[in-house]
Amino acid sequence: MSMMHASGVKDANTATSVPPTASLMRWVIAATLPGIATMSYFFGLGVISNVLLAAAFGIALEATVLRLRKRPIRVALNDSSALLTGVLLGASLPPASPWWIIGVGMIAAIVVAKQLYGGLGHNPFNPAMVGYALLLVSFPTYMTLWAPPQELLPTGLWAQISGTLPTAQLDSLSGATPLDAFKHKGEAFLASEFWAANPLPDGTLSAWRWVALAWLAGGVVLLAKRIISWHIPVAMLGSLLLLATLFYLSDPSHFASPLFHLLTGATLFGAFFIATDPVSAATSQRGKLLYGAGIGALIIIIRTFGGYPDAVAFAVLLMNLCVPLLDLYSVPRPTGQQKASPGKPGEQP
Amino acid sequence: MSSAFDFPGGIYPPERKQRSNQSGLIEAPLPRRVTLPLQQHSGQAATPCVAHGDAVKVGSVVAKREGMISSNLHASISGTVSEVSATQISIDGDGQDNWERLPSLDWQRAEPSSLLERLNESGIVGLGGAGFPTHIKARVVERHAINTLVINAAECEPYITADDLTLRNHANEVLEGAQIVAKLCGAQHIIIGIEDNKPDAIKALKHALSNCQPINIELKVIPTRYPSGGERQLIKRLLNLDVPTGGLPADVGVLCHNPGTLLAILNAVRDGQPLVSRVVTLTGEAITQPGNRWVRLGTSVRELLEQAGLNTPELHQVIQGGPMMGTPLLTLDTPVTKLTNCLIAATLEELPPPPAESPCIRCGECESVCPVALLPQQLHWYARAQDDTKLERYHLFDCIECGACSYVCPSHIPLVVDYREAKSRLRLQRIEAVKAEHAKHRFEFRQARLAREEAEKQARKQARQAQQRRPSNTPAASSEKVDLRGLRIAHAAAKASVKKAEKNLARVAQEDPKQSLDDLEMQLATAQENLKAAELQLAQAREQPSSEESS
Repeated sequence: MSMMHASGVKDANTATSVPPTASLMRWVIAATLPGIATMSYFFGLGVISNVLLAAAFGIALEATVLRLRKRPIRVALNDSSALLTGVLLGASLPPASPWWIIGVGMIAAIVVAKQLYGGLGHNPFNPAMVGYALLLVSFPTYMTLWAPPQELLPTGLWAQISGTLPTAQLDSLSGATPLDAFKHKGEAFLASEFWAANPLPDGTLSAWRWVALAWLAGGVVLLAKRIISWHIPVAMLGSLLLLATLFYLSDPSHFASPLFHLLTGATLFGAFFIATDPVSAATSQRGKLLYGAGIGALIIIIRTFGGYPDAVAFAVLLMNLCVPLLDLYSVPRPTGQQKASPGKPGEQP
Repeated sequence: MSSAFDFPGGIYPPERKQRSNQSGLIEAPLPRRVTLPLQQHSGQAATPCVAHGDAVKVGSVVAKREGMISSNLHASISGTVSEVSATQISIDGDGQDNWERLPSLDWQRAEPSSLLERLNESGIVGLGGAGFPTHIKARVVERHAINTLVINAAECEPYITADDLTLRNHANEVLEGAQIVAKLCGAQHIIIGIEDNKPDAIKALKHALSNCQPINIELKVIPTRYPSGGERQLIKRLLNLDVPTGGLPADVGVLCHNPGTLLAILNAVRDGQPLVSRVVTLTGEAITQPGNRWVRLGTSVRELLEQAGLNTPELHQVIQGGPMMGTPLLTLDTPVTKLTNCLIAATLEELPPPPAESPCIRCGECESVCPVALLPQQLHWYARAQDDTKLERYHLFDCIECGACSYVCPSHIPLVVDYREAKSRLRLQRIEAVKAEHAKHRFEFRQARLAREEAEKQARKQARQAQQRRPSNTPAASSEKVDLRGLRIAHAAAKASVKKAEKNLARVAQEDPKQSLDDLEMQLATAQENLKAAELQLAQAREQPSSEESS
């Protein structure tokens, strides 16, 4: 074989195909920067320390497991996939989370969800979301409490190092995310009354909106560079907006508006950085559309009827479970074949 | 120019055709010695019909076709046969270039059968790369109605410009050759499919078309995209027809020919000149005089490249064919054959070896470029796991090995290498399965024969006993109760299986005359033996009670 290879034979004017795997990963990491920068502007340096700590855990854990599995360490670390998992998990956690929370999350992500299944390319579940989901079910109150904007103190960073949970804030609503606050507004409140009461610290809502837009900016870069395909984000946001609109139109006094769903929580972060993880997503283009739509629908259902304020992690993990099925039923019809889905052997016309 | 349809996927690799399409089409110097492999076509190798020391002229037949799908081979220089081996014939040239031509034929008046015979004699095969004997392809009309002849001038692989230069220089002749084929297969339309990166060839074709044409020839210029030169892809793009899996273009009434082949057909018919030379693209950064040459078959690749200014220290590899689907040559001391359309003498920087493979991250880029709409990455997992059932279910055998998936793979996985290995493994398994089946049938035949002989023996014995018994008139000593009904059923079943085997044989013989019928004949013989045995047993059983009654 003498196949022309993507990296070697690119003329300047025809470099249209995707860059190699390692640089794909680095591009995704680079595209998280606007989101992380915006978050740390609003929520303080604890976001950056989270990301750095999680990334360090990611690399250390990946190297340790590769060593135990007697696999080449340098080659695997070079693909930056563990680094990316760390960045994504770190960005999802409340600012200045205790180091051991990050550690537990990263062990679940890298050791259990990724390496125990065979390493890069073999994990059925999104590693960062496995880590996040584990932390969410283990520390549900802590995980939904975020420091109010512009309130990061040096003591927060000290708490991260000493590993103490910020108990002082646990019973105050002041640290809650908008999604959490809206969820626990109580049945008696109408949506309009809730907003009129101005339940969130000043600037919380707009801070989350700016963060969401920053993730969107990173996502657009990824789309433009053809690092991710449009199928998953478009299908996911489309089904999310559709369902949210239906609920909202049916009863605007109880359900949140579609825009609220789109611009708070991890919706846009999830659409461009989590759901698009190619390893754990469906493979064919039709499958990707179904997969994205499923995530969007599950997010709205869990946010509206479930026990958790946000649902990106659970929605992604549940759809990860469906991937083998989606792959089986979304096979394209090969040119010249009569049937779309894989036929039985010997059934060839 | 009319609108084109589309096949899925496709890629845009660097074209690099400028390197070889800037200079004209010239004759390569006459080689002093040629080596002609006996297998330069698909099907069976030809059988040599010359001996060491025989004098030959250009165009003398040196090896005759063997079996159903095969092709004649002709001397490409005049001189003396210096070697005849099991795989090749070598000729030392005398420098004279004396020709031996067949008489000229007027294709408009000639009988189709004599045109076919001419193609057969002239050793013409598809020059696009597959090397399928043209006279066999022309006979497809015996089983399929053809209405369109497609001239595949897409030439979508990077580097190659042989068809481009052929059309620039011989557009009229190519179109005339196309009319010969159209006459042979009864095609009403001729469509030329050409990519828009060959403006000079398109101009030449337009000029040739403006001279009056007796039948409908249409020029369709399509945007350049790899692999639009794939037979199925081109048919989809020009005619929006899907060639069924496992089928041929003829199944949708289409026949595809390469411009070079059409020119060779015309030369064979009009000039009586057998296939002794072809156009070869010499290109790559490691030669100083790239371009297209008329090359005599059997010329050594080394000699050819050296004449084109080979820079040996810079040379990294020589690829025969295009960079996407071609094969690297292991040695330069190999001859140009009917299948050599391009030789790329590449430097290391030009076509570097692929970087180390990393794990598949299931990005799906391969799927979006697959021109057959397969799922290359699923096939990759199943090929590595040797999951043969899944491979067949995901249509491994529909893969045309164009290499688009490998080209875009961000993990540099040599996908097509995997598919080729898996295909050859599966083919081997199929052959083994058929062999095992045949062995089983042979065994069954032997059992049936033995059973029949045993039954005959029994019948003779019984006859003897009956004769002895009649005079002595003693009752049969061992007159067991015979299951007459069971024997009748067995007899009827044996009769039915003979009929079934006969039917099978007739059907297969009619459908596919090429296929070997040995196995089916064996099955029929087995059924016949079984029937004979059953008949004997039945007759014997009928006789016994009667003999008992008579006693």
